[in-house]
Amino acid sequence: MKSVITSTTTAILLLLATACVNAAPDAKLEALEEQAFKEAAAIVAPSIVRIETVGGLDQVSPGLTAGGTTSGVIVSPDGYVASSAFHFAAKPTSILVTLADSRRFPARLVSTDRQRMITLMKIDADGLPVPRMAPRDGFKVGQWSLALGRTFDSDQPSVSIGIVSAINRIWGKAVQTDAKVSPVNYGGPLVDVQGRVMGILVPLSPQSNGETAGVEWYDSGIGFAVPLEDTLAVLDRMKAGDDLLPGVFGVTFQGRDSAGSAPVLDRVRFASPAEKAGLKKGDRIIAVDGRPVQFVAELRSVLGRKYAGDEIAFTAQRGEQKLDVKLTLVEKIPPFDPAYFGILPQRQGEGAVVRIVLPDSPAERAGVKAKDTVTTWNNEPVTTARELAERVSRQRPGETATVMVQREGKPETLTVKLGSFPETVPAQLSADALSTEAPAGDAAKTGRLSESLEGHDRKYWMYVPESYRKDRPAGLMVFLHPGADSMEAAVLGIWKPECERRGLIIVAPQCDRPAGWSPNDLEFVQDCVAKVKETYTIAEQRVFAHAIDTAVPFAAVYTFRNKATVRGAALTGASLRGNAPENDPDERLQFHLSASLADKQVNAIKATADMLKKARFPTVYTTFAQATEGYLPGLMVEEIARWADALDRI
Amino acid sequence: MIARKVPSRMTRLLKSLLCGMVVATTIAMDARAQSSAEAIAAVSPKVVKIFGAGGRKNLYGYGSGFLVSAEGHIVTVWSHILDGDSVTVVLHDGQRYEGRVVGAEPTLDLAVLKIETEGLPFFDLTQPTPTVGPGARVLAFSNVFKVATGDEPVSVVHGVIAAQTTLSARRGVFDAPYNGPVYVVDAVTNNSGAAGGVLTTRTGQLLGMLGKELKNNTTHTWLNYVVPISQLQTAITEIQTGKFAPRKTEDDEGSITSAPRRYSPRDFGIVMVPDVVTKTPAYVDRVIPGSAAAEAGVMPDDLILFVGEQLVASYRALRDELGALESGDRVKIVVRRGDQLVTFEFTAPRKETEP
Repeated sequence: MKSVITSTTTAILLLLATACVNAAPDAKLEALEEQAFKEAAAIVAPSIVRIETVGGLDQVSPGLTAGGTTSGVIVSPDGYVASSAFHFAAKPTSILVTLADSRRFPARLVSTDRQRMITLMKIDADGLPVPRMAPRDGFKVGQWSLALGRTFDSDQPSVSIGIVSAINRIWGKAVQTDAKVSPVNYGGPLVDVQGRVMGILVPLSPQSNGETAGVEWYDSGIGFAVPLEDTLAVLDRMKAGDDLLPGVFGVTFQGRDSAGSAPVLDRVRFASPAEKAGLKKGDRIIAVDGRPVQFVAELRSVLGRKYAGDEIAFTAQRGEQKLDVKLTLVEKIPPFDPAYFGILPQRQGEGAVVRIVLPDSPAERAGVKAKDTVTTWNNEPVTTARELAERVSRQRPGETATVMVQREGKPETLTVKLGSFPETVPAQLSADALSTEAPAGDAAKTGRLSESLEGHDRKYWMYVPESYRKDRPAGLMVFLHPGADSMEAAVLGIWKPECERRGLIIVAPQCDRPAGWSPNDLEFVQDCVAKVKETYTIAEQRVFAHAIDTAVPFAAVYTFRNKATVRGAALTGASLRGNAPENDPDERLQFHLSASLADKQVNAIKATADMLKKARFPTVYTTFAQATEGYLPGLMVEEIARWADALDRI
Repeated sequence: MIARKVPSRMTRLLKSLLCGMVVATTIAMDARAQSSAEAIAAVSPKVVKIFGAGGRKNLYGYGSGFLVSAEGHIVTVWSHILDGDSVTVVLHDGQRYEGRVVGAEPTLDLAVLKIETEGLPFFDLTQPTPTVGPGARVLAFSNVFKVATGDEPVSVVHGVIAAQTTLSARRGVFDAPYNGPVYVVDAVTNNSGAAGGVLTTRTGQLLGMLGKELKNNTTHTWLNYVVPISQLQTAITEIQTGKFAPRKTEDDEGSITSAPRRYSPRDFGIVMVPDVVTKTPAYVDRVIPGSAAAEAGVMPDDLILFVGEQLVASYRALRDELGALESGDRVKIVVRRGDQLVTFEFTAPRKETEP
């Protein structure tokens, strides 16, 4: 350029001319896009309504709550409006819908899609403008998307502009946008640049469910909309007034990483659709509804679009065999509710021999007697106590069973109506007869023992009753002391007679920090127990954790994580938070919770017991008047000892 | 340096000349049509960084402002930063000045500073300001979080106008320092230090001043609001010219925190269901025979939903709405009866206690 143009001024002029002209298309494009946004918003505006609610709960969850106003989208001309369920978590007394033309109608809630968190309501109006729908297979990551709402004091809908960030998010339930999505526009539409509704804006979270899950992401650039196509697909079901619920079929998968793990069944829950359909642990799902799947995540995406009551078809690979199963998803798998017969079996010798008939039990009512040998259960042979327990656990409380017993050499047939595990401990429970034989020559050490565990370089103490004999499995109490207080003298003093009487070993790992137990200590405790089991003969059914006060949460974690080893926990003086894990029919747990009436936590402890009972864990809850200095009163210890001595009850 | 300066002055002259010619011949083009990039280049030098009191505990000691005269008048928000005798103003090119407050209008959350200089680029408030609606692309300029230091221009974020609405503290939804019309922006424009910055159109036309950080008391979400320049213009000009006298607005008479209680439902013959929780819905318990409400046909179990255009979400909201009525006001009340909305009109009765 310089070589051609000689005058500086001309050069500048020309340069500027190019600059001005070059700038124009840029500005023009921006102007055109802006025009398109405004037009898209204007096209949908008549279908966006303002929803106001009156009354309801003050606060749904700490922090973010729905205000009095939200947005909605008209989904059918005869007065159906869809919105985000977020706003209705507070269960408002009255709902009002204001149309774009400012007509106002009272609305009634029709139903909620709890899978996608969309609420449908109805107003008494006709001829309403339904927006055009953008089909979900046309969604492209990167396309413009507008989040609209009608919560501000304004005639026009509020607008936030972004792009589609992802499709098929949250197990296929939602499209993701970087437009600002918040309580300001929840319930409003996400619209493409042609003014077609892509979906309805909702808070969602991949980790949790519920009306308010995902609200913490408001205005963050992570927003979600449930495709309108999906809502329209279930609109008739929703119009009928039925809530749509997420569907489950009752399995867990092996491997933690759902994106990278193959869908190989880990556990199949008792009484679940999967179990009823014949699916088994180790089966690999290779196709869902005829579509091949490789990873757990793909299967979840299919499930994410289905509801309880919907059918789903699986093809499973079991070894060389291919299985086709069809099942119906359910809302909830009932918790495993173990049936209770009411006997303590003989711990030595052959056969399923009744040692004690527990008082006021189904067995007692059916006329079962001590020393009876159970030979069949519902006409199936029973040869060991373990087999008997297995047969009983396959039944439910309230069901009946036909039991054949051998009594003094003669067969008897009894009918028993099974019950639930009692919520109290029998007032009397005679201990199993102890061996009077002298210990053999190579007897293990007994009495109070102080040990240290190699590899951990940490200490634990033990008490092994003098009555311990290698050929008679002993119970094992894993005592976890609170904080820095080992409580050794108090615990040993009061438990020693029970240990002798009932053949119970105590192992007490020592916590080496004054602050108390931490999850890092789990391995040490596990290793202590393993060491004890190596050295002594332990009855697998009668291993339990016992903890007091601040050690209780750790003991609960230890118990739930070691269900293969530990069969129960006796917890005193502290409550647990969170939800109870699932009651696993294969690795069953029992609980004994106790609280001092003088303890402020007494209600919280009762609530913990109720939570465990609700999850159908056999649970006893008792209170005592006052704690003995530092530890438990003698009567409570006796009760826990009886409870522990009955852990092998059937 | 000189060699660069001469063409740059010429540049400006020629540019306007030339662009003027282009516009004259290109009908479709806006007189100010420029790209966002050009707009940013033009606006940035007009926005300043302000450093003042604060810096302790949770009070930050920095803010933003914008030039409205060549002689160094700067508009910013009324805030604790101005509590000291003077503030430090840093221009986009790093020039530092001492600024002093020449006037403030707390009801508008507005303050005007002055630095002693001349020849600065500025927003010309005598130019008409555009009005934009939802979806309009905008640019926000501020020294949010004090990211810009020294000779750096302030930060720019882009977004669109989300809504035009009115902030009203009376409803208790916002504890806004300013009540009146606002733009709401869909970008996170209002953060620490951003207040006092500007919002412009994508072509760089001044729209308003960025407000403070504001939380919606109902939803607990943050609101990014901007006070339109039209609301501030008069006060700014008056302060600049020394003619300013803080005005008393009509709203100012009654304090916001102690809402008036001039009327209650009983004045219309309505007895409400007792107020037990904070969100007790406004249900009619009974209607006093012979009262205005009885005559109009209000019935027990009616749920009062609106007083005028205002939703009354609870008994307390109803009390506030009726409380604010003046003697002789016509008031429309909408109730929900079953699945119907029924509208009644009343006149606020004359009260004997009134002067």
